[in-house]
Amino acid sequence: MRPELHFRAMGTTCSLFGDGDLAEGERWVRSIAARITRFDESSELSRLNAAAAWVDISPELEQLLRASLLAFEMSGGLVNVAVLPSMLAIGYTRPLTQGPTAAHLDQAHTAPFLPEVLKVARGRARLAPNVRIDLGGIAKGWMADRLAERLGDHVLVNLGGDLYARGEWPVAIACKTYLLRNLGAATSSTRKRRWGDLHHLIDPRTGLPATTRVEEVSVVAETALDAEVLAKTVLISGGAA
Amino acid sequence: MSDRRPLLLKIGATVLSLLATFASAAYVTAHVKNPSAPLQPPVLSSSVRPADVQPVTSTYAS
Repeated sequence: MRPELHFRAMGTTCSLFGDGDLAEGERWVRSIAARITRFDESSELSRLNAAAAWVDISPELEQLLRASLLAFEMSGGLVNVAVLPSMLAIGYTRPLTQGPTAAHLDQAHTAPFLPEVLKVARGRARLAPNVRIDLGGIAKGWMADRLAERLGDHVLVNLGGDLYARGEWPVAIACKTYLLRNLGAATSSTRKRRWGDLHHLIDPRTGLPATTRVEEVSVVAETALDAEVLAKTVLISGGAA
Repeated sequence: MSDRRPLLLKIGATVLSLLATFASAAYVTAHVKNPSAPLQPPVLSSSVRPADVQPVTSTYAS
């Protein structure tokens, strides 16, 4: 029987399959998630968000911030981690398992040009004043890639839909099953994490939930992070990317 | 000699400017990038195959 492990972390379901120490994998996920959550004021990410000055950061957060800058570049600015003020404005102020809070759409605003407001150096980072970031999907994709590397040669890591298949694995994508070998995959959708007319995918050009004619995009790419960034970019751009 | 020095400097500066201009033009022409097409991902084909088996998981978040 194939070993597998399922648990809740980062507000979503995580599943690990295959060889390797899956329990250690779960501990790693929880450890990174605790550092980068925006829902805990004492987390490493919250301290960076609050500082508006150079802050010492862990190697993992440094890599995530560099990945965020790369995602911004790859997506032509459509994947921008500096949309946190808009996420708060639409009521996504706490884990959605606790429900959204009242929306104040007048407080939503266009996201800043990320490379100008986020500076990353070796072991430290700085955000411009009044800029706050949420690592959201980028973290899940990045973590799926890193964890698959850590666990072994035949493992499938699925962190809330951002997954990486190391070795060959059958995965359901958009109602069909595909065999993925050493590939990442992700689905971005406005159907999930939705309440009323609002959803969690912010268009950084408007600061509001993306108005798009595409409801759902699935991407298979060389890494889970690439898949996540590409899926979100296509969704927000309405398929024009 | 001192009378010719400003002229030599002007000629040198002009040559350098022209070299920089032509080198820049050559570099830009050889590295064309369309700013309206930010996504240029590689297309995967050989590593993704449809399968008629039970999937172990999906990309849908829950």
